[in-house]
Amino acid sequence: MKSGFITLAATLHALLAGNMAGAAQTQKIDPETGATTWETRVQGVTFSLTQIAPDPARAFYLNRGFPPETADRYATACVFMTVLRNDAAPGELRFRLADWTVQNKIGSRPPLSVDTWMAQWQSLGLSEAAQIAFRWAQFPPEQEYAVGEWNQGMLTTGLAPGSRFDIIARWLVAGITYEGKLENVVCPP
Amino acid sequence: MWSAHLEFGIKRVLSALLLAGGATLPAVAAELPPLTLGLTPITDPRPAAALRLPDLDEKGHDLADLKGKLVLVNFWATWCPPCRREMPSLERLKQRLQDRGLAVLAVDVGEDADTVFAFTGQLEPAPTFPLLLDRDSEAMKRWKVRGLPTTYVIDPRGRVIYRAVGGREFDDPVMVEALSRLVPGNQAAQDR
Repeated sequence: MKSGFITLAATLHALLAGNMAGAAQTQKIDPETGATTWETRVQGVTFSLTQIAPDPARAFYLNRGFPPETADRYATACVFMTVLRNDAAPGELRFRLADWTVQNKIGSRPPLSVDTWMAQWQSLGLSEAAQIAFRWAQFPPEQEYAVGEWNQGMLTTGLAPGSRFDIIARWLVAGITYEGKLENVVCPP
Repeated sequence: MWSAHLEFGIKRVLSALLLAGGATLPAVAAELPPLTLGLTPITDPRPAAALRLPDLDEKGHDLADLKGKLVLVNFWATWCPPCRREMPSLERLKQRLQDRGLAVLAVDVGEDADTVFAFTGQLEPAPTFPLLLDRDSEAMKRWKVRGLPTTYVIDPRGRVIYRAVGGREFDDPVMVEALSRLVPGNQAAQDR
């Protein structure tokens, strides 16, 4: 429920005060794995995505008790290791993944939700242990970070392997919405 | 009185905890996110939720039995990269402060004793604090944990007074100093 969590006025304020200040985006490729990391820092908050190729994602869930075809479904859904960290924001931040936007030439939508995946796993009758591991391996659907707090977890866009997209993370600090945008991100091939 | 927020700092940790056969979350970047320092004060300390869980040997542990101590309750899992990275520092912290009344309980979510045992056997130093099993994640829900790792500091009266979301260097001097002020024998702790 969006219910005023993010207001237009606050967003405009953040655009003027925060993201428009010209947050730099960096891109690094891990020489060992070939995985690319995109990172930006906005108003003391670091936001990054790192590609997780289908093979390691599949291996992780197979090891957690997922059947091969189920692990495959997730592993090919454009998976990223996501980090959001409050390094030095002007206060405690809070966010909901439902307020983030994945956009490409076709359109825009939020990242795939943990609840959507969980509903699939439940209907498939996955073991409780597998579901618990899945749930807690995902980037939190909502969270609050004081300065120094952070999480790392998996996030999926559902786009096809190799697809390009932009992603906008949004968070609130003292009622003001800030945005961190990563452009031209590429789904793991 | 200890300041509301510990001085925030970062420490680059390039540990060799990358994947081995899907054992952990695929943390594929060579440069892992830094473990951080600092504890977040709970503005309205309340009694901690119940925590009664078995350890790897099926021996029961109850947080309530640790009243009078400063307790760190750490929620974690073996596949969680920052959890793995911070665990040795938690043990070193315990070794530093246990004689002054610090106790640590590590609560693993959703895994079995064999998995936890196999992982902790690789650690140096290996944890000597109780490793509790929250197999159905009900304790996590009761404690309203939203992401791993999350650590809570419980004061000697049984109240949650600080939290730490995300991996920490628990034995960094900043953290040791801060927690030293909270252990039962410290005057500042008695004044809280």
